[in-house]
Amino acid sequence: MTLSNLIRKMQSEQKLGEEQAGLLLDLQKKRIFPIHRELRFFLYAGILLVVAGTGLTIKQYFDDLGDVAIISALTLCFVSAFAYCFIKGHPYDSEEVPSPHLFFDYLLFFGCTFFAMDIAYMEMRFSVLGDAWKSYLLLSAVLFFFLSYRFDNRLVLSMALSTLAAWFGFTLSEFQWFLFSEHYRLYAMAYGTLVFFGGFIFYRLEIKKHFFEIYLNFALHFLCIALITGVGKYLIFSIYFPALLAACAALAFYATRVSKFSYLLYAIIYGYIGVSIVVVDFLHRSTLFTLIYFILSSLLVIRGIYKMSRKFREEQ
Amino acid sequence: MNFSLYPPQEEEKIYIAGRAKTWHRSGLITEDQLRAIAEATRTELRQTNPFFRVLFYLFTCLCAGALVALFFWLIDRPGHKVMAMMLMGFGVIYYAAAEYITVKNRLYRHGIEEGLALMAMFLFCAGCNLFLDMRHQQSDILLSILFSVAALGIYLRFGHLYAASISVIALCVIPFQCSLSPVAERLLLLVILCCLFALGLIEDKRDREDFRKNQLAKIKAGLLVAIYLTVNLEILGMIGSFSGETRNAHLYPQLFPPLFYWLSYVCTFLIPAAAIYWGIKSRKRLLLNAGLVMACVTLATNKSYLGMTRYAWDPIILGVVLIGLSLLITRWLNAGPDQKRFGFTAREILKPEDNGLNPADIAAALTPGVVDAMKLQTAQDSFFQDGSSGGGGTSRNY
Repeated sequence: MTLSNLIRKMQSEQKLGEEQAGLLLDLQKKRIFPIHRELRFFLYAGILLVVAGTGLTIKQYFDDLGDVAIISALTLCFVSAFAYCFIKGHPYDSEEVPSPHLFFDYLLFFGCTFFAMDIAYMEMRFSVLGDAWKSYLLLSAVLFFFLSYRFDNRLVLSMALSTLAAWFGFTLSEFQWFLFSEHYRLYAMAYGTLVFFGGFIFYRLEIKKHFFEIYLNFALHFLCIALITGVGKYLIFSIYFPALLAACAALAFYATRVSKFSYLLYAIIYGYIGVSIVVVDFLHRSTLFTLIYFILSSLLVIRGIYKMSRKFREEQ
Repeated sequence: MNFSLYPPQEEEKIYIAGRAKTWHRSGLITEDQLRAIAEATRTELRQTNPFFRVLFYLFTCLCAGALVALFFWLIDRPGHKVMAMMLMGFGVIYYAAAEYITVKNRLYRHGIEEGLALMAMFLFCAGCNLFLDMRHQQSDILLSILFSVAALGIYLRFGHLYAASISVIALCVIPFQCSLSPVAERLLLLVILCCLFALGLIEDKRDREDFRKNQLAKIKAGLLVAIYLTVNLEILGMIGSFSGETRNAHLYPQLFPPLFYWLSYVCTFLIPAAAIYWGIKSRKRLLLNAGLVMACVTLATNKSYLGMTRYAWDPIILGVVLIGLSLLITRWLNAGPDQKRFGFTAREILKPEDNGLNPADIAAALTPGVVDAMKLQTAQDSFFQDGSSGGGGTSRNY
C-alpha cells in the first residue's frame, strides 16, 4: 500500500471529497510544493544577521560614527517598524490573530531588538538612569509585553520574558556555570513563580490563551533549576526538596491531563535528578549502593513510562 | 536484500499515518478521515511519542551503563585482556537484548532498543579497541572501520538514521589517521563521501517505498553537506583565524597548493548551485534546504577565500540580501495564479507540530542577552579608550 493508492481508495469509497483528494495527491506527488517554512527561516535568519551586524558595527565604530548618528539611525529604524506594525496590523483580539503577511512578525521583532539596542546604547553612553540603569530592562520588558499581546507575536513575548529575566539578574554576560548563589536561587524562584502566575492569570482571563505554553516553559525551567541547586546544597532537610517534588508532580499531572508530553519529559528528568542527589547522599556516596540505585531506579522509571505510554495509546 | 527487523509494509504504514497526522494538524482532513486512515494503516508495531522515546533512551543507557560499571566494580581491577573480553561480552549481550526486546514486544523507535543497540556498539568497539591496542599499531584505523561497520549494521537492522550518521562519521575519520598530507587527507575524504553519495544515487533509482525514499533523501542531503564541508577550506580557516594558527593547513588554508585552493573555491559555488537546481527540479525539500544553507555559507566565506578585509557590517549585507530574496520570492509566488507558480507556493499549507517553545522562540529569547553583552563589552572598550581609567582599580569617579 502506498499513500497515493490509499487516497484514491478513500476517494472511491467517498471517504474523501474529490477536491480534497486532489489536493492531497498534489501534495504527495509534489505537484504542489509549499516553501512557506523555508521563506520564514531565511527571513528570520536575515533579521538576526542584520541585528548582529548592527550590534557589531556599533561596537566597533561607535567613536567614528558618533552618538547622534547611531541613536538617530536606531530610533528611526524601530519607530518606522513600530509605525508600520500599528498601521498595517490587524485590530487587537484576545484570541489568536494571524499575521497580515509573512514579514509582519519579524518586522515587529526587528523593531524590538533595535529599541533594545538604542536604549542600551543611550544608557551606556549617557548613564541617564545612573545606578538604577537596570530599570531600562524593566521598561523594555513592559513595552515588549504590550507589543506581543497587541500584535499576537510569540517571538516578542519570548524577548519580553527573557528581558524580564535579565531585570531579575539573569544575563548572558553575568552567567557563571555551576555558581548558583543563594540570591540567584531566590530570584530564579521568584521569577519562575511570577511568570507562571502571570501566564496563568492571562490564561484564566482568556487573553491570548495560546501564550500560556511559552510562560510555562520559561517558568518551569527557571523554577526547577533553582530548586535542584537548592536540593544540591541543602539536600533533604530544606523546603527545596518537597517543593521540587511538588513542582514535578504538578507538571506531570498537567502533562498527562492535556497530553503535552514534553512537560512529562521535563518533570521526570528534573524530578529524577533531585531524588538522585538526595539518595546518593543518603547512601554516603557508596559506589556499590549508588550503582544499584541507578540500575533499579532507571528500571523503575522505564517500567512506569512503559505502562503510561500503553495507557495513553489505549485511550487514543 | 532486506536486513531490517521490520517488514517494509509495516514501516510504510507508519509513514502514511505520520503524513496523515500532519494533514490533520494542517486542517486538510477531518478527525473522521484521520481515523479512517489510522484504521487502514493499523500496524502490529508498537510506537511511542518522541518524548517518551527520549526518556526510554536516556534511562536505558543509564541502566545499561550502571550495570557495566557495577560488574567492573565487583570484579575489582581486571586485567586488560579480561576487561576487553568483558566489554565485548556486554556488547554482544546488549545487542541480543535489543533484538529480543524488539522482536518480542514489536517495538518501533521506542528508545529502549535504541539505547541497548547503541550501548552494545560502543561497548563492543571499546572492547575491541582494548584488545587491538595490544596487537596492532594501526588500531585507530581498525577501530574506525569497526565503528562504521557496527553502526551500519544497526542502521540496516533497526533503521535508525543517526546510526547511519555515526557510520559515515567513523569512515570520515580514517583519512586523518593515515599520516597523509592535508591535501591527500581532504582528497581521500572527498573520494569516500562521493562514493557513498553515488551509492545513494544508485539506491534512489530503484522503485521503492515512500518511507525508504524519505530516509534516503535525508542521507543524501547529509552526505552532500559533508562533501561541501570537505570542499570549503575556509570554514575551518575561520576557526583558525580566531586562534591565530598558521602551521596547520586545515586551520590556515593559505598553506594549501594554489590549484587545490582555487579549485575548492569554485566548488563552493558549484555544489550549492547544483543542490538548489536539483532540489527544485526533483522537488526534494531537504536537498533544496541544504543547497540554500550551503549557498549562505559560501557567501559568508567568500571574502576569506579572496583575502579581502572583513567588516562588521558584512552580516547586515547578507541579512538584507536574505530578507530581500525571501520577500521577492514570496511576492512573486503570491502574484501567480492561485498563489502558486510551477507548483511552488508561499502559503502555509502544512503546519509544523507545536511543542511549546520552538527554536525561533529560543533565538528571540536570547537576543536581549546578546544585546546586553555587547553593551557591556562596548562600555569596557570606551572606558579604556578614552583614558578615563587609570588602572589599578581607579575609575573616572575617583
